[in-house]
Amino acid sequence: MMSLTGILPRRAAIASAAALMVLVFLSPAARADEAAEDFMRGIVDEANIVFEAPDEQARFDGIEALVDKHVDMKRVAMFTLGQYARQITDAQKEEYFSLFDRYAKLVYRESLSNYSGQRLEVTGSVDRSPRDIIVNSRVVGAKPGDRYADLVVHWRVYRSDEGEMFIFDAGANGVWLAIEQQSQFKSIIANNGGGAGGIDALIADLKAKLDG
Amino acid sequence: MRGLAGRCGAIALIAAMVGVQPAAAQLGNVGETETTTADLEHAASETGGAEGDPWEGFNRKMFSAHLFIDGNFLVPGAKAYRAVTPKPARKGLRNFLANAAMPKTLVNDLLQGKVGRAGETTGRFLINSTIGFLGFADPAAKLGVPPHTEDFGQTLAVWGAGSGPYLFLPLFGPSSLRDGFGAAVDIGFDPLFYIRTDPAAYARYSRAGATGLALREPLIEPLEDIEAKSLDYYASLRSFWLQARKREINDGVTNFEDLPDIGDYEELDELE
Repeated sequence: MMSLTGILPRRAAIASAAALMVLVFLSPAARADEAAEDFMRGIVDEANIVFEAPDEQARFDGIEALVDKHVDMKRVAMFTLGQYARQITDAQKEEYFSLFDRYAKLVYRESLSNYSGQRLEVTGSVDRSPRDIIVNSRVVGAKPGDRYADLVVHWRVYRSDEGEMFIFDAGANGVWLAIEQQSQFKSIIANNGGGAGGIDALIADLKAKLDG
Repeated sequence: MRGLAGRCGAIALIAAMVGVQPAAAQLGNVGETETTTADLEHAASETGGAEGDPWEGFNRKMFSAHLFIDGNFLVPGAKAYRAVTPKPARKGLRNFLANAAMPKTLVNDLLQGKVGRAGETTGRFLINSTIGFLGFADPAAKLGVPPHTEDFGQTLAVWGAGSGPYLFLPLFGPSSLRDGFGAAVDIGFDPLFYIRTDPAAYARYSRAGATGLALREPLIEPLEDIEAKSLDYYASLRSFWLQARKREINDGVTNFEDLPDIGDYEELDELE
């Protein structure tokens, strides 16, 4: 039987082994970030109080206040434009930021309303970089077979140059809100000719959605 | 025989699409203007962007056709099904259908070399088919063996095949070229497929119909919500599906490495 080294030229095999070693040493292992976990623990504690509110409007208001305080909405707004972020004009930006803020809050409050009556707890974190950390949480007391049993709620935390932390995105079981918004928005911009014209179409669509 | 012909037709359709791919990809490029290195880097780090959907024009037509069928037949059917059945019965039917689909998961567990998961699948099948009343209950989950599903699309992914273009087909819903092809192959992993008698054919058709209703019924509200919130329902579903599928292929483990980067926006840093 022919061995693997017999098939591969020896030098190529050594080169690829060396390349693999370099990769292993160069790529820093993802680590937990306790400061980011503590940051999210504080927010989750506040959210748990909001989830307890019996009145839907009170929950909506509570979630919107938390989003206002902790989500870096302008950064998310720019992210959701994808490559078109470099083409937005200053005048468009002003209008887009304000519409996106309203739209994202609507999405957040509806998504987080699913946890009404539940309590979340932070379970750990993984840092993609010192400025980009995923904090995971789960519903307390979910039993096997429950709706929430295998659910992991993720929070993507952004740390600024000054060390201040904000929420950048939220997701559940690997499905992220801002990534989904980016997919929609890029599609709308591209299907309307791209560039500033495409962004105008997106702004019009946002207005139509929010103001009916 | 008609069933077989239909399946061959579906496989032929997918095969024909493979042939169409280069032309479709070229068409997709016509409208593009300048592409910079930064754009390409950005595109490479995308999750579920339009970059994975060179057949968007075709897919959107199929999506419209699907919405028509969905709104006129599937949703009313699912609502009627909900109206005449109690919740535990619907859950029981979902369990039963999932249990009946276990041979497919088992074959794909084995094809992926996941012997432990194949053992779980077999254990679940034996437990649920017996003390689980033919699969209507799921005592295996309570005994600590949670359900999982595998399909040939996932097997191909584990073997290293890329997803290929995103594909949306009426009734089948969101998929990709690889996963659509996988679904066609999975038909061959169904024991009923090989019993060519009338009762077996009725059983297959009834199961297909029941599966459609059982899967659509719990999605009535979630899909309504997504449609209500989205600016572009097609793109929204595409992204949700692509993101969720990635995790499913990874056996429920979320990979944070391949998320698109947050991005530096200098003008924002100046504001802060």
